[in-house]
Amino acid sequence: MSQNNHEWEMTNIQFGFIVYEKCYQTNELRTFFSIEDNPILGDRYREGRKHWTRMENAQSFRFDLKCKKTGELVKFNDLMGLMYCTGCLPDCELDKLRLQYEAANTMVIVAFGFFPESLEKHIPPKKLGILTDYFNQRRNSRRSRIKVLPFNLIKDLSKCRGEFLHDVNMLTKEPPAPRRKPLFE
Amino acid sequence: MTLEQLCNKIDLKKMSQFTDKEINGVFVSDMISDVMAGAKSGNLWLTVQTHKSIVPAANLVDVSAVIITSGKQVPPETIELASKHDIAILSTDLPTFEIVGKLYAIGIQDS
Repeated sequence: MSQNNHEWEMTNIQFGFIVYEKCYQTNELRTFFSIEDNPILGDRYREGRKHWTRMENAQSFRFDLKCKKTGELVKFNDLMGLMYCTGCLPDCELDKLRLQYEAANTMVIVAFGFFPESLEKHIPPKKLGILTDYFNQRRNSRRSRIKVLPFNLIKDLSKCRGEFLHDVNMLTKEPPAPRRKPLFE
Repeated sequence: MTLEQLCNKIDLKKMSQFTDKEINGVFVSDMISDVMAGAKSGNLWLTVQTHKSIVPAANLVDVSAVIITSGKQVPPETIELASKHDIAILSTDLPTFEIVGKLYAIGIQDS
């Protein structure tokens, strides 16, 4: 959805970690944003019948968008992160759209919500449209455009090898693997 | 100043194929989240990160070029993706501090 009567800017920027936890009893995965100073990878704790293990801490940030013209504030606290589609899955609806958009000189960026909530409650298309407008409005060059699409278009999350735009392994001396393992396997 | 003019003034190696662009300031960070939150369109982005995820981040923010410092080797998949999306990847053997000094000296300052 176009929001051309708006001029968006990033506000309420807060740096932190996207934490990925897995329960090996139920195989459930959950993610959340944390502002703790020193997150412990591999941390384990019990919560009722579930035994959570921290699988990944990715340095990231959260933000809201505010319109300079109208003052309207759109909160993005339901946005876990953005991913670049690498075209890893044949017959994936997202990859089909990526190819269409790239033919029109537009890069597809995939918006993820937090798990498991976002599996049921998707980020509203209107907000993804606002995010698309924001990224395109801040561009001076016209060489290409950005299109933000929802992650639920991905055929199989457990096999997706898209590239998340966040920072992992920043505190290790080991370089990141050229081909990352799926985050949701 | 454009990227071509910059490459004529400072010894920078062109790693990807790109069209010339206007430079508008400099942003230094090795964190993608930092760049996405703080860099501006037209900035030169100086980093030692070479993973291919720098390409979509650079495109999202619309930087004029990514300058890989300290002689870090850029993987072929990063160069290929950058060329595909017309993202300029330049490299130098100089450490970040020295290249920032050279950029400042030729008149490229914060936007």
